[in-house]
Amino acid sequence: QDRATLVADSLQIAGDSQLVADGSVEVFFQGRRLTASRIVYDQKAGTLKIDGPIRLTDETGETVILASQADLSADMTEGLLTSARVVLNQQLQIAAAEARRIGGRYLQLDNAVASSCRVCAGSDIPLWEIRARRVTHDQTERQIYFDHAQLRFGGVPVLYIPRLRLPDPTLKRASGFLLPTFTSSTLLGTGISLPYFLTLGPSRDLTITPFASNAEVRNVTLRYRQAFATGEITVTGAAAQDDIDGKSKLRGYVFADGSFALPHDYRLTFRGEAVSDPSYLSDYDIREADRLTSSVAVSRVSQQELVYGTLRNIDTLRSADVGSSIPTLLADALWQHRFAAMGGNGNLRFASHGHLRSSTSQADANGDGIPDGRDVARASISADWRRDWVLPHGLLGAVMGEASLDFYDVAQDPVYAGSIPRVWGAVGAELRWPLVKTERGGGRQVLEPVLQIVAAPNSSKAVPNEDSTLVEFDEASLFSLNRFPGSDAVETGLHANIGVNWTRYDPDGWSMGATVGRVLRAEDGNGFSDASGLGGMASDWLAALHVQSAGGLYAAGRIIADDSLDVARGEMQLEYSNKGASFSSGYIWSIADVTEARTDDISELVMAAGYNLTDSWRAKVSGRYDFAAEEASRADLGLTFRNECVLLDLSLSRRFTTSTTVQPGTKFGLTLELIGFGGSDGAGPARMCRR
Amino acid sequence: CGFTPAYAPGAGGDRLRGRVAVQAPDSRNEFAFAGRLSARLGQASTAEYTLTYSLRVERVSGGISPANDITRYTLKGEATYTLTENATGTRAAGGTVRNFTSWSATGSTVAGVTAEEAAAERLMTILADDIVARLIAEAP
Amino acid sequence: QQIEFKGLQQDSSLPVEVAADSLAVDQTSGLATFDGNVVVVQGDMTIKAGNARVEYAADGTGIAKLYFSGRVTFAGGTEAAQADEAVYTVAAGEVVMTGDVLLTQGSTTIAGQKMVYDLQKGTGKMEGRVQTSFTPKSAAEKKAPKATPTPGAAP
Repeated sequence: QDRATLVADSLQIAGDSQLVADGSVEVFFQGRRLTASRIVYDQKAGTLKIDGPIRLTDETGETVILASQADLSADMTEGLLTSARVVLNQQLQIAAAEARRIGGRYLQLDNAVASSCRVCAGSDIPLWEIRARRVTHDQTERQIYFDHAQLRFGGVPVLYIPRLRLPDPTLKRASGFLLPTFTSSTLLGTGISLPYFLTLGPSRDLTITPFASNAEVRNVTLRYRQAFATGEITVTGAAAQDDIDGKSKLRGYVFADGSFALPHDYRLTFRGEAVSDPSYLSDYDIREADRLTSSVAVSRVSQQELVYGTLRNIDTLRSADVGSSIPTLLADALWQHRFAAMGGNGNLRFASHGHLRSSTSQADANGDGIPDGRDVARASISADWRRDWVLPHGLLGAVMGEASLDFYDVAQDPVYAGSIPRVWGAVGAELRWPLVKTERGGGRQVLEPVLQIVAAPNSSKAVPNEDSTLVEFDEASLFSLNRFPGSDAVETGLHANIGVNWTRYDPDGWSMGATVGRVLRAEDGNGFSDASGLGGMASDWLAALHVQSAGGLYAAGRIIADDSLDVARGEMQLEYSNKGASFSSGYIWSIADVTEARTDDISELVMAAGYNLTDSWRAKVSGRYDFAAEEASRADLGLTFRNECVLLDLSLSRRFTTSTTVQPGTKFGLTLELIGFGGSDGAGPARMCRR
Repeated sequence: CGFTPAYAPGAGGDRLRGRVAVQAPDSRNEFAFAGRLSARLGQASTAEYTLTYSLRVERVSGGISPANDITRYTLKGEATYTLTENATGTRAAGGTVRNFTSWSATGSTVAGVTAEEAAAERLMTILADDIVARLIAEAP
Repeated sequence: QQIEFKGLQQDSSLPVEVAADSLAVDQTSGLATFDGNVVVVQGDMTIKAGNARVEYAADGTGIAKLYFSGRVTFAGGTEAAQADEAVYTVAAGEVVMTGDVLLTQGSTTIAGQKMVYDLQKGTGKMEGRVQTSFTPKSAAEKKAPKATPTPGAAP
C-alpha cells in the first residue's frame, strides 16, 4: 500500500493514537499534496482534521482546492471543506461556502460561483460568472455540472439554465455543444450556427453545425473525421435549403480528403470536391475557389527516385467556361531516376499524360482556340545530364544536355488528329564565377556572374500546345534549357542566358539579394508570349530583389521590363511583424495576353494589417483592390477582445465580385467565448487591477 | 575591389564542394529541392558535413478577376537549413531563406495544373540557390 | 496497521540496572560515568548508548538522572527511539532526546531534531521540521472495516 508522508514544524504524539502536526504542515500521498497550518491525524478513525489556510493539489496539478478548514479521510479522497475555492487549470475558479469531496473523484460545491475572470480587490463583480445552487466537478470525466445555473454579465443575470454541463478546462475531447456563432449577411440573413461535436470512439468524430436564419435559410454542415493506423480521412459537407436567387431549392457541397501510408514507402492521397451549383461556395463564404479538383494520387519519394501516378477530375465554376469543352479528366504518371554517369549526374524520366474533354465536337464553339472535343494522350522518355569542373581562378565550368522523345496521340482535332512522334534535344555550356568578399565590419557579399550558351535544333513535328501556354520568367527559368512549363512546347534555337546574382549578409542579421538577367537569341520566333517577357531576339530584363531582416521584415519583388522600362509583369510581396503589429501586402501586375487567354491586364493589390490597440483589443483590416477594374474585390474588418476569461470576435467582410453565378455579399459575424471551459483557446493577458 | 573567387583553392566554396551530404527528401517538393542542393554542392564523395532542412510552402491567390475567377497564384516558400559538421556535431551554419514564384491560372485546366507544378519546382530551385549562396558566404 | 503509542510507556519507579565496559566514579561530585556498550534496563525498557553519566539522588536513594551520549537508543515493545543525546529524569519519567531523533513504531517512523517523551503517559512531542510517514486507511476501507481487528501491542 502507498505510504503518506507528513512534514511539520512539530509533531505531538497524543495518547489514543492521535498525531497532532503543527506549523507549515505538508502531506504527500499518491501525488496529492496538502499544505495547512495544523493537522490532527486520528489513526483509529483514519481522519484528518485540518486547519487552514489549506491548499490541496491533485496528482495532475490541474485541480487546486483552497479552503479555510477541512475534515478529510486520511487518503484525502473524502471529506468536507469549508469556504472552499477550486481552481481548475489555473483558469476556472469555483467558490462556495462548503465543498464536499466524494470518492476522490467528485467535488460538490453548494451555492457556488464559477468564473475565470480576475476579481479585483475593489469591485468583486467579475466580467461574467455562473452562479448555481450546486456545482459538481467530476475529476475523472473532467465535466462540470451546474444545477439551477444563472449566467451573469457584470453582475446582471442574463440567462437561467436549470441543468448545465460544461467540460472543465483540461478536457480536450468530449461530445457536447461548441460555441455558437451569430452572423448576419445580405445573402443569408441574420442567424445563428450552433455546432455539436460528437466523439465516435477514440479515432472518429462528427461535428454537426446547423444554421438557421430569419431569411428562410436552413443549412447544416457535417464534418466527419476518422484516423486509421496507416492514415486518416476528413469529409466536410453541407446541405442547404434557401431561396437566395428567388426560388427555394436544395443546395450543398462535399469536400473529402485523406492520406494513407502504403507498403514499400508508397503514399496514397485523395481529395474530392463537389458542389451543387457554382455560386454555393461564395454565397456561403466557404472558400475562394473557381475550379474544383478531385484527385487520387499514389507517390513514393526516395533519395534517387521519384514515382507518382495522379488521376484528376476538374469541375470549373468560372462563369465564362463551358464545362464540356475544357479538359475535365487528367491523368499523369512519372518515374524519375537520378543517376551519376561520365563524371556528371543526371535524370532519366518515363512520363505519360492524358486529358479528356467530354465534348466530341471538332469545332471551336467556345473560341478558346482549341477544338471543343480535343483529347490528347502523351508518352515521353526524357533525360538530362550535367557535369561541372572547377577551372583556374575559381571559375565553375559546366556542360549539360537535355533530350526528350514524345509520342502524342491527339483525337477530335481537325489539324492534329492522329499520332505524332516528336524528338527534341538541347545542349549547353555554362560558366559561373562565384566571388566572395568579407567586409571589415563582418558583412559578407557574394557576387556570381553566370553565362550560359544553349543550342537546340528546331523540333521535327508541331504538337498542339496546351500545357505550356503559361510561361514564367524568374531566377530559376533564366538558366533552364527549356523554359516551357509542360511538354507540348519546347524551346529551340541558339541563345545565351546572361545573369548576375548578388547577395549581402549583414552582421546585424539582415540580408539582401538581387538577380538581374536577360536572354539573347540568334533568331526570333520562339513562341514565347508577350506577357512572359521572353519573346523577341532579346528578352525583357529580369530584375529580382529580396530583403530579410532579423527584426521581422521580409520583402521580395520581381519585375520583367523591356529596354524602355515597359513592365510586362511585376510582383511585390511585403511582410512586417513585431510584437504589437503585423502588416502584409502583395501587388501583381501582368499585361493582357491572348496566349494566356486573358484579355485584361491584371493589376491587383492585396493588403492585410493587424494592430494591438491595447493588451486585450486587437484590430484587423484586410482587402483586395483591382486597379484594372477600378474596384475593390474584397474588404474585411475584424475586432477581437481577449482577456483571461472572455474572447469576443467581431468581423465584417464584403465581397464585391459579381458574375452570372456569383453575387456580391456583406457578412457580419460575432463569436463570444467564455474562456475556461473545454480545451478552449489560450487565455489572453489578465486584467490589471488598478489600485 | 575586395572580391575573391569562392572556388579558388582553400576558399569557402572549394572547402564545401563534394563534402556536403543533403538530407533525403520526403515529398515531391523536397525531391526537387534536395536534387538542386546536391547538384550545386557537388555529389558528396566524402561527407564531412550534413545539410538538414525543413520546407514550408503556401499557395495564395494573387489575382481575382471581377467575375471571381482566380487569374494569378503566388507560391510563398520558406526553407530553414542547418549545416552540421559530422565529426564534431557542431552547427557550422544555418538560417532561413524565403522567396516566391507565381503563375497565371487563366486558360485551360491542363495549363493551370502544369504551371502550378512548374512554379513549385522553380521555387525549390530558387530557395536552394539562395542557401548555396549563403553557404558559400558563411563557409566554415 | 495501527500506530500504538503504548510501547514506550513505562513505570519509571522500577529498579534500574546499568552494565558497561568500564565505570569511573568521581567522589567529589558523586557522578558515575559508564563507558563503552552501556546497557540500562528498567522493566521492559532497555537503553543502549555509547556512554552514560549517572547522577545519584542527593538523599542517596538511587539514580536521579541519566545523561546518555553517542547515539542512544530507547527500545520497548514495538517502539524504539534513537537520538544523538538523551537525558532521562527517572523520578518524573521524562526523557528529552536531541539530535536526529528517530521514533519508530512498527512500520511508522517519525524523524525530528528534538523530542520530549513522558514515559508514564506514553505521550511525546517532537519538534524541528518533523517528518513522518504512515499508511492511511483508504476511505473505502474505513467504511468496511477489516474482518479481524488489529491486535493491540500489549505493554
